Amino acid sequence: MATVSIKNLVKSYGKTEVLHGINLDVADGEFVVLVGPSGCGKSTTLRMIAGLEDITSGEIHIGGELVNHREPKERNIAMVFQNYAIYPHMSVRKNIGFGLRTSKASKAEKAARIDEVAELLSMTDLLDRRPNQLSGGQRQRVAIGRAMVRDPSAFLFDEPLSNLDAQLRTQMRLEIKKLHQRVGNTIIFVTHDQVEAMTMADRIVIMKDGHIQQVGTPYDVFHKPTNKFVAQFIGAPSMNMIEGSLADGIVTLEGGLQIPIDTSSTHRGPVTLGLRPDDLLVSSQDGQFEGQVNVLEPLGSETLVYVSVAGKELIAKASGRTPPVLGSTIKLNAAPENMHLFDSATGEALQ
Amino acid sequence: MTLYKNLTISQKQIVWAWCFLAVPAVFYVTIRFYPTANAILVSFQDWNLLGTRTWTGIDNYVKLFNDPVFWKVFKNTFLYLIIGTPVSLIIAFIVAYQIDKVRFMHGTIRALYFIPFMTSAVAMAWVWRWFYQPVPVGVFNNFLATLAIPQIEFLNSTTNALPSILAPAIWAGLGFQIIIFMAGLRSIPQTYYEAARIDGVSPMATLWEITLPLLKPTIVFLVVFSSIGFLRIFDQVFNMTTNNPGGPLNSTKPLVLMIYDTAFNGFDMGYAAAQTVVLFLVLLVVSLLQLRILRDR
Repeated sequence: MATVSIKNLVKSYGKTEVLHGINLDVADGEFVVLVGPSGCGKSTTLRMIAGLEDITSGEIHIGGELVNHREPKERNIAMVFQNYAIYPHMSVRKNIGFGLRTSKASKAEKAARIDEVAELLSMTDLLDRRPNQLSGGQRQRVAIGRAMVRDPSAFLFDEPLSNLDAQLRTQMRLEIKKLHQRVGNTIIFVTHDQVEAMTMADRIVIMKDGHIQQVGTPYDVFHKPTNKFVAQFIGAPSMNMIEGSLADGIVTLEGGLQIPIDTSSTHRGPVTLGLRPDDLLVSSQDGQFEGQVNVLEPLGSETLVYVSVAGKELIAKASGRTPPVLGSTIKLNAAPENMHLFDSATGEALQ
Repeated sequence: MTLYKNLTISQKQIVWAWCFLAVPAVFYVTIRFYPTANAILVSFQDWNLLGTRTWTGIDNYVKLFNDPVFWKVFKNTFLYLIIGTPVSLIIAFIVAYQIDKVRFMHGTIRALYFIPFMTSAVAMAWVWRWFYQPVPVGVFNNFLATLAIPQIEFLNSTTNALPSILAPAIWAGLGFQIIIFMAGLRSIPQTYYEAARIDGVSPMATLWEITLPLLKPTIVFLVVFSSIGFLRIFDQVFNMTTNNPGGPLNSTKPLVLMIYDTAFNGFDMGYAAAQTVVLFLVLLVVSLLQLRILRDR
């Protein structure tokens, strides 16, 4: 087990800089998820921690030691790949044991270790099978087993759930989280799926275009996003964004609508008002917004309502049992404390 | 026409499939199967290409079995196979493995290795024959002379001639084998190697435990393909030993050349056919054995 610490990490391919000075500290035993859209540099960061990519500048410390110039095997990390990278010509036992080849332990010790890992992942009965006789989820477990068998100080996961179907993904998500709670190793997990990030992480690192946007607990990034990108990236459906201008605690929206807001900011000028669909509720009496229902998306327990308000389409949530009627005019209400304000020019959140 | 209209869709598809298949089927029957059957028939007969065929039973095979030249030729053919196939595959793999890692002028280097494969075997054989000449003509002997090493009789020695002829044959096939090996190497996912690096597996172990096992389908294909090629070697031998085909003293003569000689110089078609049948059986047995041994278990 070990801490991982990244200081001013930069990666360039030729003249193109793709990572612009990343700083991140991962505590011992922490589960950190790197999340962001494709091309944000999350996988590159992970591969640099693993030692599969050269470091252009900056420092990576694992367990307090500088590892910039160490070979991957000397970093004492293990990695699980998106396509699992389990060898089709070897049995599950050989695949898991492959990482122990270089270890000095005796044959019996190695065999015992393989059995122990298989037991932990409840796949003892699969040990003598070939990978082509396994399902996607089982292959994923073999890949995790191979990573665990060396008892590394940190696990690196590179989008390991992307190749699984939706149901299996949910199941493996839970298994990985349980596994982490049991073995307690440091985990750095890369994904593009914000739901995976929210459900598994102790802390989430949201990245975009080679910059870290926000580092925080799932609670923080959802309820206190630092900028417009984070606010829209986390949470589905995405946060509603309405342009307006702020003066003396009142936001005047484009259509002339005035919304009093719960803010201590003295900022004056153009702002963006952010409202999560979960916080924008259909109201039978008064409402800040009024508009016509364009589309209904029933999800069972709730219904997503697309309402056009002053020429802009907002997403709101209504009950699943008594949704509003398509085409009708409804009123929407949001509590002032649930509203988010962003500076329109910089995109930064205003308190 | 009404008959066709009344057919179901799947029956119509079968009709069309057979219409298209008829062309290659007729072709194969007249160009391949009929001559093959005829050759087997002729191998039990005596025929000089013009006169009448007379039935001789297994006389041709008995004669073949008692012919010392045949056994010499049989041994030569297997020498071409046993030396040629492994040597060419090992060289091709080493070259492909290295080219795969080279980024600089990758396409040009690959093309350079492929050129011999596109060159006419006859032209190549004559160029190599010229290389092998004594001083002052031959390149190799000139080079040896500058190093003060005595002359080597490449093509006029019964021990050196066979390897000397095999060398250009291996070289000619290399380009094709390299291309196939490179395609095989490219199809191995990069993450296998990355996972091995993280596990700290040495490059040698990576080669033996990951690259070669995953290349097995490619290797099986190339072993069978190049074995058939070496068992049927003819162009290089014939062109490099024109004044005494298969010489000196039959030391380079392969089975195909013996067949050619018996048929078109000796006009003993029955005897040549018997040799052909033996070659066919050898090719069949060797290919089946290789497929069985190398089969995925």
